[in-house]
Amino acid sequence: MNALEIKNLTKSYPGFTLDNLNLTLPSGCILGLIGENGAGKSTTIKLILDMIHKDSGTITILGRDNGDGMEVAKEEIGVVLDEAGIPECLTVPQVGKVMKHTFRNWDAAEYARLTKKLGLPEKKPFKDFSRGMKMKLAIAVAMSHNSKLLILDEATSGLDPVVRDEVVEMFSDFTRDENHSILISSHIVSDLEKLCDYVAFLHKGKLLLCEEKDRLLAEYGLIHCTAEELKQLPAETVRYAKENPYGAEAMVRRSAVPDGFSVSPVSIEEMFVFMVKGGAAV
Amino acid sequence: MKGLLLKDWYMVWKYCKYYFLLGIVFFAFSIVEDNMFFVFYPCLLCGIIPANLLGYDERSRWMQYSGTLPYTRAQIVSAKYLIGLFAQTAMLFLMGIAQGIRMGMNGSFRGNDFLVIMLLLLIASTITSSISLPFIFRLGVEKGRAAYYVLVGLICGISVMMTGLFRGPFRTVIRPNLVLVLLAVAGVGIYALSWYLSVVFYRKREL
Repeated sequence: MNALEIKNLTKSYPGFTLDNLNLTLPSGCILGLIGENGAGKSTTIKLILDMIHKDSGTITILGRDNGDGMEVAKEEIGVVLDEAGIPECLTVPQVGKVMKHTFRNWDAAEYARLTKKLGLPEKKPFKDFSRGMKMKLAIAVAMSHNSKLLILDEATSGLDPVVRDEVVEMFSDFTRDENHSILISSHIVSDLEKLCDYVAFLHKGKLLLCEEKDRLLAEYGLIHCTAEELKQLPAETVRYAKENPYGAEAMVRRSAVPDGFSVSPVSIEEMFVFMVKGGAAV
Repeated sequence: MKGLLLKDWYMVWKYCKYYFLLGIVFFAFSIVEDNMFFVFYPCLLCGIIPANLLGYDERSRWMQYSGTLPYTRAQIVSAKYLIGLFAQTAMLFLMGIAQGIRMGMNGSFRGNDFLVIMLLLLIASTITSSISLPFIFRLGVEKGRAAYYVLVGLICGISVMMTGLFRGPFRTVIRPNLVLVLLAVAGVGIYALSWYLSVVFYRKREL
């Protein structure tokens, strides 16, 4: 079963259109949404959660249409938005009490364990938390009601590298259960690279690519060469290329590269930058 | 919806307890002073509590976050109406006791007059939030609040004028009980209509 299926999703605002988006997140997997500011990541997440109204298309979430009884589906979805959204006057135990009366499957022991593990203070009101602490509390809430799907919008931003690593590890553990899935958007592509099974590149409201991460990394590589050498490469080998005063750089299909060229690994971040602005598609 | 009410209760306790302290001060004043201002003002003030809570919600981005929780839009709206109703009823009760004591102390307690005041208070305290909340759920807190302040002034004036009419030369002409009971029923109807409109507006709003 797929945790999430998006078909032909469209939403228009003045000056921006999320255009005919198609995405699938299989159960037990992590899908990373990568895109620059304004690419449509948050719009996609809000549409999935029925916080904004789609113009057309369908969204199926945990087997249910998102326009039909979404509040039932939300029992099984843990969400972290880029702004945590927890009332400023509440303390960690008060948030726990509110959520206990919000989610049928609220696990108070798990919440207590996570807030302790993440080092969240019990008595401080939320307004006195740092951004990192705010995100940690939102993550603790999202992971304390036996969710099957986590939807995380910039959930790791604002966290220091050590905590970020710890949180990424928590997300990774979460998907060890094959019924658990994660949709995560982040500017920190290195986190997504570490975490995701699938990556989707969004640019100006259009889906550039949605592929299995390992397949992309195995299929593509980088060649640094001279402009002359670049011209010798067969056209079907080069996906994107750019020239600079010091030579040329090309993202290539490894399998089609002729002998004599040294192909280095390409990271997801490099791949994204290439596709968005780095070079011309060949 | 219990979670929403509990969260709003924590917020009322944190941000709005001064309204109730003010209510206690006005309670004392309204016993010793024969001035309807001390009775109406705290009740009207309580009508702003849901709008204040929505202001804090907007600032903390709770409006967006609550959209991710397993609540319907109708439940989110209803929680604000219920918490407002609770605050208004508590203040109405307090001011009712103060009026009863004052009338008793003056030896002027008449059931009819007491009923007039209570019905006017009921109308005044519900009509303000009835009219302001749909604006807020439709337009956001700032514009909704502006509408509310204009209304408070209007309703204060109308309420005091009506009290004067019932006590003055028109007392024999107007049948206050009937008119006021009808107004109170209309007030409750407007409150219900307001809730319905707020639900409709909030369902259409993009978070």
